[in-house]
Amino acid sequence: MSAGREGAPGPSAVAAPSARTDRFGPTEREQLVTAHLGLARQLARRFSHRGEPLDDLVQVASLGLVSAARRFDPDRGVEFSAFATRTIIGELKRHFRDKGWAVRASRRVQELYLELGHATASLSQRLGRTPTVAELAQETGTSEEAVLEALEAGQGYSTTSIDVPEGEDDPLSARLGARDGGYEVIEDRALLGPALAALPAREQAILRMRFVEGRTQSEIAEVVGVSQMHVSRLLSSSLRELRERMAHVAPAPG
Amino acid sequence: MSDPGERLAAGDRIELRFPARGDLVVLARLVTTAISARAGFDVEELEDLRLAVGELCLLALQGSDAQHGDLRLELTVLGDAVAIDCSLERASASGGVAPSPDEEETARLSEQILTALVDDHGRQSEDGAVRAWLRKRRREHAG
Repeated sequence: MSAGREGAPGPSAVAAPSARTDRFGPTEREQLVTAHLGLARQLARRFSHRGEPLDDLVQVASLGLVSAARRFDPDRGVEFSAFATRTIIGELKRHFRDKGWAVRASRRVQELYLELGHATASLSQRLGRTPTVAELAQETGTSEEAVLEALEAGQGYSTTSIDVPEGEDDPLSARLGARDGGYEVIEDRALLGPALAALPAREQAILRMRFVEGRTQSEIAEVVGVSQMHVSRLLSSSLRELRERMAHVAPAPG
Repeated sequence: MSDPGERLAAGDRIELRFPARGDLVVLARLVTTAISARAGFDVEELEDLRLAVGELCLLALQGSDAQHGDLRLELTVLGDAVAIDCSLERASASGGVAPSPDEEETARLSEQILTALVDDHGRQSEDGAVRAWLRKRRREHAG
């Protein structure tokens, strides 16, 4: 992260002495703003990964700077740069809060997680192997950090249910080759037995390899002689069928 | 986001050590958000912590040639807060380089940012190696 062309001016060196003069009028305050525009920009840049254009953030930060300069009281003994940093960050945070950022952010993580599922599938097909995080980041137009975070957070959404999201052919977690949701649910072997027996032999074998032997989808693919993607699809359709059958056997899960 | 079984409780401590390089600070950010989420911080607080831990790493890297040594991050979950300690561990026993005026300026900015984001923070210099720490309390949430 280089400072870029602005050259990252030292925020406080310029204004600190003048801040302590008695004559502190509009001109001095204007000078404070001019001297600290670099600070505003630096702070704005620190918030730029949240998905808002940097220019907008610089504008918000600059407004924060102006308001800090207007309210600054040199007699308080606080350095202007410290006071301005606090005000500008407060302003930036308020900007995100006003735009409902927190809600959108968690939704964005979920959406990215979904998107990663699709990206993984199409990249796997194109590359003939499972993609790397860097490739996923490029494909989805985000950073590697965002991808890692979405994968981390996304698993939390899918560990307790074998439900297939509407409009999805197969559970994402299965497609990502990570955790196949529903492991806990189908642990109930007693209930599972009859439902399992009704499945075709190949599907039974795949389920056993995945959940009893704990093999990965790729390993299973090799054993069965189909693609990993196909294993993933078979797993999810089998899980769906199992769930339906178990719903008939048992009154209600849990 | 994380299910209750994955929660961290008071007293849980996590350590992370990685080569002291700016491009690896992403590891500190990822681990910090993962841990803080499990300690019950909300999304906005996680963003504060993510920014703050980046500044913490910058502070610990001050005055180092950053080539030889590890950054050590220690995260402790407290009752209603998280404490993060970041220090540079040098490969050799020789002291660090004195920070340049530019670096001092950057360090001051980092400290001012920390002031805006967390409840408490500080840094100490010992034998030329900087140790920086922060503490952030969780907001009160219903439930």
